[in-house]
Amino acid sequence: MWVKLWVVLVLVVPAVLTVPLEQSIEAERTRLKYGGAPLTRAVRASVGQGMAIALLAGFRGVVADFVWIQSQGFWERKEWLRQYRNIELATTLQPQSVLFWDLAQWHLAWNIGYAVRTDPANRTAAVGIKREREWQERAREMLVRGIENVPNRYELYFTMGWLYWQKLSQWQSDGFCRAAEYFGLAAAFPNAPTYVGRLYARALEKCGQRQQAYEYWKMLWADRGRLHQLPSVVERELKRLENELQIPVEQRVFPEAMQP
Amino acid sequence: MTERVGFSAGRVGTIALNTFTESVRQKVYYILLIFALVVIASASFFAQFSFSEQLKFVKDFCLGALSVFGALIAIIGTAQMLPAELENRTIYTILAKPVRRGEFLLGKYLGSVCLVAVSLLFMGLMFGAALWFKEHRLIAEALAMAESTPADELQHTLQQIRAEALDPDILKGVLLIFVKLALLAVVTLLVSTFSTSMVFNVAVTVMVFLAGHLRGVATEAWGEMLWVRALLAIVPDLSAFNVADDIILGNVIPWGHVGKVALYGLVRTVILLAAAHLIFSRREI
Amino acid sequence: MDAIRTENLTKKYALGWRRGKLLALERLNLRVHEGEVYGLLGPNGSGKSTTLKLILGLVTRTEGEAWIFDVPCDQVASRLHVGFLPENPYFYRYLTGVETLEFYGRLCGMRGAALQKRIDALLELVGLARARDRRLAGYSKGMLQRIGLAQALVHDPKLLLLDEPTAGVDPIGSRDIRDLILRLKQMGKTVLLCSHLLAQVQDVCDRIGILNLGQMILEGDVRTLIRDQRRLSFTVQNLPAEGQARVEEAVRAAGGQVIAVEHPQTTLESLFLDALRKDERGMRQHD
Repeated sequence: MWVKLWVVLVLVVPAVLTVPLEQSIEAERTRLKYGGAPLTRAVRASVGQGMAIALLAGFRGVVADFVWIQSQGFWERKEWLRQYRNIELATTLQPQSVLFWDLAQWHLAWNIGYAVRTDPANRTAAVGIKREREWQERAREMLVRGIENVPNRYELYFTMGWLYWQKLSQWQSDGFCRAAEYFGLAAAFPNAPTYVGRLYARALEKCGQRQQAYEYWKMLWADRGRLHQLPSVVERELKRLENELQIPVEQRVFPEAMQP
Repeated sequence: MTERVGFSAGRVGTIALNTFTESVRQKVYYILLIFALVVIASASFFAQFSFSEQLKFVKDFCLGALSVFGALIAIIGTAQMLPAELENRTIYTILAKPVRRGEFLLGKYLGSVCLVAVSLLFMGLMFGAALWFKEHRLIAEALAMAESTPADELQHTLQQIRAEALDPDILKGVLLIFVKLALLAVVTLLVSTFSTSMVFNVAVTVMVFLAGHLRGVATEAWGEMLWVRALLAIVPDLSAFNVADDIILGNVIPWGHVGKVALYGLVRTVILLAAAHLIFSRREI
Repeated sequence: MDAIRTENLTKKYALGWRRGKLLALERLNLRVHEGEVYGLLGPNGSGKSTTLKLILGLVTRTEGEAWIFDVPCDQVASRLHVGFLPENPYFYRYLTGVETLEFYGRLCGMRGAALQKRIDALLELVGLARARDRRLAGYSKGMLQRIGLAQALVHDPKLLLLDEPTAGVDPIGSRDIRDLILRLKQMGKTVLLCSHLLAQVQDVCDRIGILNLGQMILEGDVRTLIRDQRRLSFTVQNLPAEGQARVEEAVRAAGGQVIAVEHPQTTLESLFLDALRKDERGMRQHD
């Protein structure tokens, strides 16, 4: 009897004592966004029974990878809606994965988009274009969610800018301006690669904000010593813009390149 | 006569070393060969995916397998310890010497933890080799396409491959896996202090393992009931140790957090070890 | 000072829920004097092993008390001078003979050269010098019993507890172990052994106690106990037939009774050992 009482004391009392530590760990996990979305019944049902057990045992990454790899098979069999479903599931399982969001929009807007536009089943070309635009819209929505989940990294802003530049600008008059907006957000991250900044400048120009573009190229020139920056490209663009904008010679970075 | 026999770290070490040697000679490490297959497979397939995907797969699969096989070694290695001692009557010969029961139990546990640590070390080395191999292959592939890539983009790609392949933060993940396995081992040890069947030990530990991961889900579902909360508090929260996924995704895991989780594991381990000692010191052998 | 002393030592085992208790040992008062070989006899389940386990603190006593060299047996220090050989020991199958003794030696706080020297001497004593580097998985039953004895002796204890030391061992091995016990006695050790093989106990023990159903039913000096005070036997050689008739006549004349006249029989054991000794190929080496 005494033993039992002791065991209860030894098990229960300290377990209660560790509760504050547990709560503090849990709070930190939430703050640092570990673990991802809660494993709701819907998520568990959509991965299947075996995978659900793996999920519950803590192998979230492995399950997400399997779902992701499976989506590749759907792509090969042209089962786009199922591919879409799996891609969404993978991003739901690991919403902190920049990789999944990034590749998700690429699959939707680029691969599936092109495939549905050129689908021989389309009655007319207009049908193909309509379908492509729908998939591009899905890609955009996906990236909005991605940015929501990983707002503190440059990658998804850059991807969104690229989506606007390459795809959405075809139908949207402010496409390049939106691209510039996102490139600008991405370029502001100190660890963003140098080409993000150059794309930002170009997007500004395409948006019609040539003066701002010029100012940004000048800033890049001032920063030309940065690793992997391409000074020759910056120089060429600056010279062109200085001529096109007819910058007064005393304000130019390259006065010697002035054209009459 | 006033001879006294105090607690001796030397005897604990002797028993731990003996336990470790015994497991090694029983070829428990054959399980590591299966791990090697997982590593090789994960490093050789998936060439049709991008380099970031390939590296993510290698890391997810290898760390997942490391965790599973580590758990197998921790649970099976510990579950058979006391039943085997009782069945072979070796425990009589040991406890008939001037050895405290606490020393015996701690020695057994440390031997088991040693085995887990060495297994993790080997698996970690294999995992590292797989990443190294993958990194070099991906770099070679990237360089092969250097012609068509702008210089700064290529540089950025190479830099990214290196950074993703050799992320020292993965060690934090492995460390917490180790703490979790040590905790699992002590759960198994505690169960085996009052049962005599290895199958029972394994079954109960696996249930605790699942319950420990399900705590979050269960608290959400039935958390309003106080007695459910109290019941759940007894089971250690094992999901706290799962940071490997987040590390692979590039989430920042501060050392402060790692330390706190490790401390949690240690406190839980000590509690369970004390409980195991309490039961074992009164057990009829 | 007694090597072992128990007072009203009682053990009840719980049989499980609602199945009551088993009285394994009832009010045992045992005294084993220093330097003697004491044999605890009894059928299976009579409480012999329980007695040993109680003395070693492996099970908790229900009532009564026990001391080893006056140290209460629930103290770890009581086991400083005890060596124990359990029934049918297995040991760690993957250790060699030397490693096994190293392990047990270290548990007793022995280290280094002193331990190595002790191990060499012990392996010599129990006749396992040639099998020292073989793993125990490959040992025969008799060899296991002998490594078990070596393990019990590793820290040179004053008292030895042996549980069925000759069970399952062939007659040669069994005789070896018997000789070893006698040698230990000469070295001044105290031995408490449990057995149900009575012939062997008779040869080595000074005193015996017989347990049945957890109670001591008979105890005393071996020679006194087994001597039949009312009967006498002569063993004679080369006696002709008429001589035999005259002897019987003389016995009757003196008021005695002749119960049996027969040729003495050798024991099967000595027949067996004799046959092996005469075999020209010699005897199997034990290691």
